[in-house]
Amino acid sequence: MSDDSGTTDDGSPFAGLDRALRAQFSWYVVAKKEFQDTVRSKGLWVLSLVFLVLFVVPLLGVAFDVLGLGQVVQQLGARALISGLYLNLVTFLLPLVAMFVGYAALTGERESGSLKVLLSLPFSRRDVLVGKVVGRCAVVAVPLLTALGLTALLFVSLGAPFNAGLYGLFSLFTVGFALVMVAVAVSISAAVPSGRWSLLGNFFVYFYFTFVWNSLANGIGNLLGNQVGLGGSLRWQITLFVKLLSPTQSYKTLTNSILGSGANAERLARLGMFGRNADRGTICGDVLRGNFTTVQVQGFGNQTVPRQVCQAGQQSVPIYFSDVAVFVYLVAWIGLAAVVSYYTFDRVDL
Amino acid sequence: MPAIELDGVTKRFGDVEALRGVDMEVREGEIFGFLGPNGAGKTTTIDVLLDFVRATEGTATVLGHDAHEESRAIRERTGVLPEGFDVYERLTGRQHVEFVGEAKDADVDPDAVAERVGLAPEDFDRKAGGYSKGMKQRLVLGMALIGDPDLLILDEPSTGLDPNGARRMREIVREERERGATVFFSSHILGQVESVCDRVAILEDGEVVAVDSVEGLRDSLGAETVLTVNLAESVEGVVAAAEGVAGVESARASGATVIVQCPDDAKMDVLSAIEDAGGNVENFDSEAASLDELFAAYTEDDE
Repeated sequence: MSDDSGTTDDGSPFAGLDRALRAQFSWYVVAKKEFQDTVRSKGLWVLSLVFLVLFVVPLLGVAFDVLGLGQVVQQLGARALISGLYLNLVTFLLPLVAMFVGYAALTGERESGSLKVLLSLPFSRRDVLVGKVVGRCAVVAVPLLTALGLTALLFVSLGAPFNAGLYGLFSLFTVGFALVMVAVAVSISAAVPSGRWSLLGNFFVYFYFTFVWNSLANGIGNLLGNQVGLGGSLRWQITLFVKLLSPTQSYKTLTNSILGSGANAERLARLGMFGRNADRGTICGDVLRGNFTTVQVQGFGNQTVPRQVCQAGQQSVPIYFSDVAVFVYLVAWIGLAAVVSYYTFDRVDL
Repeated sequence: MPAIELDGVTKRFGDVEALRGVDMEVREGEIFGFLGPNGAGKTTTIDVLLDFVRATEGTATVLGHDAHEESRAIRERTGVLPEGFDVYERLTGRQHVEFVGEAKDADVDPDAVAERVGLAPEDFDRKAGGYSKGMKQRLVLGMALIGDPDLLILDEPSTGLDPNGARRMREIVREERERGATVFFSSHILGQVESVCDRVAILEDGEVVAVDSVEGLRDSLGAETVLTVNLAESVEGVVAAAEGVAGVESARASGATVIVQCPDDAKMDVLSAIEDAGGNVENFDSEAASLDELFAAYTEDDE
C-alpha cells in the first residue's frame, strides 16, 4: 500500500506522537486537517510573507537609515523599534490578519456542505469547534513565530542592541494576542449562520476592541463618577479593570510594561492607559499602590519646574493589576469565546 | 433490537412543520428504502438520526443509542452519505479516505476503497475540488464504507450517478447487507429502491403513509388500474369529479390529461363523471398500475 502523505507513515519519528495525540484528543484529527488544508492552499506562505513584511521591513528601513532614525535605533535597538513601530503595527494589523484567517472557519464548511461530511464522522460538535480553533491558531502561530525568529536573527546580525529577554516576552505577548483574535474569529464563525454574518461580527469586534473599547471604559468611569456618584478609588479600579478586558488594551499595556525598566514599569504602564483627565493621584496611589509626588525637574535654562510623578512605593501593584494577571485576562478570551460559541453552535440545527 | 426506531418524531422550523409524528422501525440487517417526493421530510428525518437537527417532540433511537444524547456513539458505527454535502476542495480523494480512517480509527486500504466505488486511480490522487457530482458521490460513498459500519445511512445516493454508477451503488448496498450491515437509504425515485429493498416506507408531507415490503405494496395494488384520460382541453373540476367516484384511489391532472387510479370496474363511472364535469374525452387508456404509479398515488404532486 502506497502512502505518500506522511500521515500514517510508521517510519516517521512523528508517527508515534501523531498516534498518541489522536488517542488523547478527539479534536486532534480536525485540527490537523485544518492545518494541512492551509498548507496546501499556500495560505501559510502568504501569512509568512505578511508577517515578514510586518517585522522585517521596518527593521531593514531603520538599518539602512531610510527613515533617518538610524541614530536612535543604533543606540536603543530592539526596544526602540518595538515601542516606536511594532507595537502600533501589531495592534492595528495583527487582529485583521487573525480574523481573516478565522472568520470563515465554520461558516465556510456550513455553507459548502462539507460540515455534513465532517459531522457524519465520530466528532462531537465540541471536537469540531476545538479542532478548528487549535488548527487555525497553528496556522497563524507558525508563520508568526517564524517571522519573529527571523527578525531576531536579523537584529543580531545587524549588530543592533538586542535584549533577548525583552524580545522573547514581546514575542510571547504578540503570539498570545494573535491567538486570542483567531479564537474570537473562529468562535464568531461558529456562532452565526453565515459567512456574511461572521464577517460583519468580526469587523464589529475588531472595531470595538481597537477603537471603541477604551472610550467605552472611560465612559463607564465617568458614568460611575458623575451619575452614580461613585467616588474615590473604586471608580478608577473599575475603569482600569474594564480597560484590561479588551485584548488590544491588555496587549498594549503588557508590552509597555516590559519596555519600561525597573520595578515601577508595571505601574507606569497601567497608569499610561489613562488620559489627562483621569485622577492620576488616586490611580497611582490608591489603585496601583504607588507613591504620587511632586519632583523638580530641569526646565528651560536654569529654571526648575515641578512635575507630578508616580514612583514606586512600599507596596507592589495589586496582583489583579499585575502583568501576570493581565496576561491571564488576555488569554482568558480564548476560553470565553470558545465557551460562548460552543453553547450556540451545539444547540443550532445545521 | 431495531437498528433505527423513530417514535412520534415531530420537527418544527418556526411555523413550518417538517415532520409530524413519524413512527418507523428499521430492523437490523435489512435494506430499508425511505421514499417520498422532494420536500416530504426525508432529509430532515435523516438529520434527526445524525443529530444535525433536534426533534421538537418524540424520540429517535439508532443502534440502541439516543440520537441526540449519544450521537457520537452512533456515528462511530455508522457510515453516512449525506444530502447536499460537499467535499474538501484541496484534499485529494485519497486524503479524504485517509482522514476518515483517522477519524474512525480504522485501518484503511485507500486503493481498495477507490476501486470498490469505481473511482479511477488518477482521479483518486487529484484534488476533489475538480470532481464531478458523480465522482464526489462515489468518493463519499466510499468514505461511508470505511471501518465496516453496522449501519449505512445514504441520502439520495444515486444523485449524479450514471446508470453504471447507480448499478454499482446497488451492488455495494447488497454486499454490505451480506456482511451484516443495516442499510437505510432515501430516494424520491422508486425504481432505484424497488430492486434492492427488503422493505420501504413512504413519507409524504412529514408523515409516514405506508410501510411494507415491496411485494406487500404490489399485493396491496390488487386489481388497481391506472386510467389515463386525454381531454380535448384542460377543464377545471374534472379531478374533483373523478375523485368523487366510489372506489377511486387518486386522481390528478397534468394539462389536458387526467390520471386516475381506481379499481378496474370503476372505469366507466369515472369516465362519465369526467364528462359530466365538462371534460371532452378524446381517448383513454388503462393499464395495471406499476409501483411507480402506486408511489405517485401515495405522494401526489401538488402541481
